[in-house]
Amino acid sequence: MNDLLELLVSATASGCVYGLVALGYLLITRPTGIVNFAVGEWAMLAAFGAYVALSRMEMPYPVGMALVLVLMLAIGWLTERLTVRPLVEKGAPPLAPVLSLLGMLVVFRESVSIGFGADPQPVPPALGFGRFEFGPLAGAYQSFFIIAITGLVFTGVWYFFERTLTGKSFEAVAIDRRAAALMGVRLGRVTAASFAVGAAVAGLAGMLVSPNVSAHYMMGMPLAVQGFTALVIGGVGRVEGALLGGLVLALVEQFTVRYAPIPAGLAMGVPLVLLIVFLLVRPTGLLKAREARA
Amino acid sequence: MKSLVRYIVAALVLSGVAFVLGSYQTDVYRKLLLWITLALSYNFLFGICGQVAFSHFAFYGIGAYSVVIFITQLALPLPLAVLATVALCVALALVVAIPATRLAGFYLALATLAFAQLFIVVLNEGGTVTGGTGGLTNYRLPDIFGVAVTGPWYTVAIVLLLLGTFAMLWRLERSWFGRACRAVRDNPDAAVAMGVDARLTKVLAYTITSALAGLAGMVYAFVDNTVNPAIFSQESVFQLLFMVIVGGAGRPAGAIIGATVLYLLPLVLSPIIGHHHALVFGLFMVLVVIFQPRGLIGLWDRFISGRQHRQAQVQLRKAHP
Amino acid sequence: MTAHNPLLTVRGLGRRFGGLHAVTDLDLDVHAGEILGVIGPNGAGKSTTFSMIAGALAPTSGEIVFDGQPMAGVPSHGFAPRGIVRTFQHNKPFESMSVRENVMVGMHSRMPSSLWQILAGTGSSARAEREAAAKADSLVDFVGLSEFRDADVATLSFGQGRLLEIARALAAEPRLMLFDEPAAGLTASECHRLEQIVLSIAKRGIAVLLIEHDMRFLMSLADRVAVLNFGRKIADDTAAKVQQHPEVVEAYLGNLKDLQNA
Repeated sequence: MNDLLELLVSATASGCVYGLVALGYLLITRPTGIVNFAVGEWAMLAAFGAYVALSRMEMPYPVGMALVLVLMLAIGWLTERLTVRPLVEKGAPPLAPVLSLLGMLVVFRESVSIGFGADPQPVPPALGFGRFEFGPLAGAYQSFFIIAITGLVFTGVWYFFERTLTGKSFEAVAIDRRAAALMGVRLGRVTAASFAVGAAVAGLAGMLVSPNVSAHYMMGMPLAVQGFTALVIGGVGRVEGALLGGLVLALVEQFTVRYAPIPAGLAMGVPLVLLIVFLLVRPTGLLKAREARA
Repeated sequence: MKSLVRYIVAALVLSGVAFVLGSYQTDVYRKLLLWITLALSYNFLFGICGQVAFSHFAFYGIGAYSVVIFITQLALPLPLAVLATVALCVALALVVAIPATRLAGFYLALATLAFAQLFIVVLNEGGTVTGGTGGLTNYRLPDIFGVAVTGPWYTVAIVLLLLGTFAMLWRLERSWFGRACRAVRDNPDAAVAMGVDARLTKVLAYTITSALAGLAGMVYAFVDNTVNPAIFSQESVFQLLFMVIVGGAGRPAGAIIGATVLYLLPLVLSPIIGHHHALVFGLFMVLVVIFQPRGLIGLWDRFISGRQHRQAQVQLRKAHP
Repeated sequence: MTAHNPLLTVRGLGRRFGGLHAVTDLDLDVHAGEILGVIGPNGAGKSTTFSMIAGALAPTSGEIVFDGQPMAGVPSHGFAPRGIVRTFQHNKPFESMSVRENVMVGMHSRMPSSLWQILAGTGSSARAEREAAAKADSLVDFVGLSEFRDADVATLSFGQGRLLEIARALAAEPRLMLFDEPAAGLTASECHRLEQIVLSIAKRGIAVLLIEHDMRFLMSLADRVAVLNFGRKIADDTAAKVQQHPEVVEAYLGNLKDLQNA
C-alpha cells in the first residue's frame, strides 16, 4: 500500500512537469496559433541555467530560480522578436514560424552542446535530497515542491484567464484574432507576452525535473514529446487539460514500469504508444473546450 | 527518347565520378547521393503534398535494418531479401499512412514523430534481432552472380537508385496524381468537388514516398556495413525537412541543392564547428525561412530572371538607340 | 437525351442540425438542358440544399436520385465522376498551379492512365497528358481567359477567378452543373458574359441548377425558379409567374427592390 502511495506521489510530480511543458506550449499556441516544437529546448536551457546558477555559482535556491525565470522570459521574448515577428510582419504563411522555431530548436540544442559538452550536468533540488511524510503519502522533498509550484502556476494561469480582463483579452485572441484586434487588443503585445511567459513556464518545468534527470543537451525532445502527449490526452481547449493529461500520462508510465513485466527500455515506448492511441481514437483529448457563452 | 538519353548521360557522368575518387571522398560522395535521394522523396511528400511528416528517416532505417536481418538472420538470398524489404516497407507505410492521414498539421507531425521514436525504442530493445544499442555490424553485401559488388561499382548502384527515384517522382509530379496531391494540399474542398479522393491521395503519397525512403535505406545498409540506432536517432529527424526548405520546397532542384549544401557545408566547416553539424542546419533554416522563404533555388531564379530582364533591356536599347 | 424524365430528382429532402430544421420536405426536378433557379431570402436553406445536392453534406431525410441512381451513401468525391459538378461562391482555386493546371484538375476523374502507367512512363500516359492540356486550353478559351493559360492564379481578378471556377467544373464533363451564387461580386459586363456561358452550357444538354440572390439575373436566364423560405419550397414555376405568387411576395416584403428590379 505504501508502495502504491509513493508511486502516486512520484507520478503526480512527473505529471506536473509534463503539465508545465504542455502549458508552456499552450500559452503560445492558443493566442497565436503558432506551433512551437522548441518548448523542450526551452526547458533544457533553463535546466542549464539552473546548473550554472545553483551548482557552479552556488546561489541560494530562490535567487537562482528567480534569475533563471527572468532569463527565460528574456529568451522567450527574444525568440519571438527575432524569429517570429519578422515573419508575421511579412505576412508569411502560418507554417513559416513553425519552421523557424524548428530551426531555433536545433540552434539551442547545438549551442548548449558546444558550450557545455555532451556530459549530463547536475542540478540541485530546491529543498535538498530529503524525504517528507505527509500523512500516508511519502516522497522526496522535490516531488512535493514540484506539486506545490505546479499547483500555484496552474491556479494563477486559470485565474488570469478566467477572472482578469487582460486574461480574457488573451482568450479573445485565441478565439478570433481579427475580431480581437478590431476590439483594440494589441496583437503584437499579446504574442510577445505569450512567448515570454510560455518560455518561463517551460523553463520552470526544466528546472524542476533536472535534479532527477540531470541537465543534458538532448533532454529537450523527450520532454517535449511527453508534454505534447499530455496535451493530446488532456485536450488543447482548456488550460486544465494540460495538467490532467500530464497526470494521466505519468500515472500510466510509472504504473507500467513498476508493475508490468516488461523491460525498462521498452517502458520508454509507453508515452509514445499512448500518444498514438489518443491521436487515433480521441485527438481532441479528454476535456472539451469551453463552449461559447451565449 | 530524349529524356532517356538525358538519364543515360547523367548515369554515366555521376558513375564516372565514382571511379576517380579516393576512399574518403567516395564515402562523402555516396552519402551525398543518398541524402539527395532521400531529399527528393521527402520533397514530394512535404513540398508537393504538404504533409508535415517526421517519419521519413525512420523508413530509411526500416529499409536498412530489414534487408540486413533478412540476409543474416533469415538467410534469404539477396533478390528475395530485396523483395521482402520492399514489401515490408510498403506494408508498414500503409499501416502508418491509413490512420495518420486522418490527421493534419500539428497532429500528423506529432504522430509521425512518435512513430519515429517508437522505431528507435524497438531497435534498442530488439535483443539479438536488431542488435540492441550496438546494432548490426557483421555482414556484407552477398555476391551477385558470384561477383562482389564493391568500391566504385557499389557507388554506381547508388547512382542508379538516385536516378530511378528521380525518374519516378518526376513522372508522378507531372501526372494527374501530382496535380491531385497539390490540389488536396491547396484546397481540399475544391479537390473533392472535382472528384479527387483526398484520403486515398494522401495515403498513396505517404506510402510511395516512405517506400522510396525504405529502398534508399536498403542500399545504405551496405555503404558502411553497419546499422545502429544512433544513425537514425532524434538528431536526424529534422534534417530532411531542413534540407528541403533550405533548398526550396516543392521543387526537385531545391531538394538537390538543399541536400548538397546542408551535407557538404558542415563537412567543409568542420575545422570550426567540429562535429556539431546540426548548428549549420539550424542557422541556415532560420535564416532561409525569414529572409529567403523560396529557398536557395529562389536565389537562382532571381539571378536568372534578373539576367533575362537585363538582356531584354539590352535588346530594347538596341532597337531604340 | 430523354426530354421528359428529369435528370435530377429530389424528393422529401431534409436536413436537421440538432433541433434546427434547415431544409424540410423539399422536392425538385431538373431536366437535361434546363436551367432551374433556386432563390430565397437569407436563411431560407438554399446553401444547405445546394451542399446536399453537390454531395458535400448528407441529407437527414429524403432522397436525391441522379439519372436513376440514388446518391445516398456516395462519398463526396464520387459526385463529380458521376456527372454532378459544382462551382464555389467564394472562388477556390488551387494557388500553387497555373490556370491551365487548375482546369486539368477538373479532369481528374476522366484521366485514363493508371499509376503504374505513369511510373513506367509509357507513351499512353504522356499522350493522355498532352490531350488533357489541349482540352484544358480549349475550356480556358471558352470562358474567355485565353491570355491567362499559363498564368499564376493569384494574378486573376475576382471575376476572372469565377470564370476559372466554371472552366474547371466543365473539365469534369458534368451532366448537372451546380452554380453557387455565380453572379455575386461580378461587374455588369462580367455578369453578361456569365449569362452567355450558362446559356451555352444548357444548350449543350447539361442540366443547370443555379442558386442566386439576384432576381434580375435569374429572370433572363432561368427556365424555372424554385423559391425557398424557412427551409421549405413555397413556389416552383416560371420566373415571371413566380414573382406574382403571394407567398413569394410576402417572403420578400423586406426586399421589394430585388423583385422590382427584375
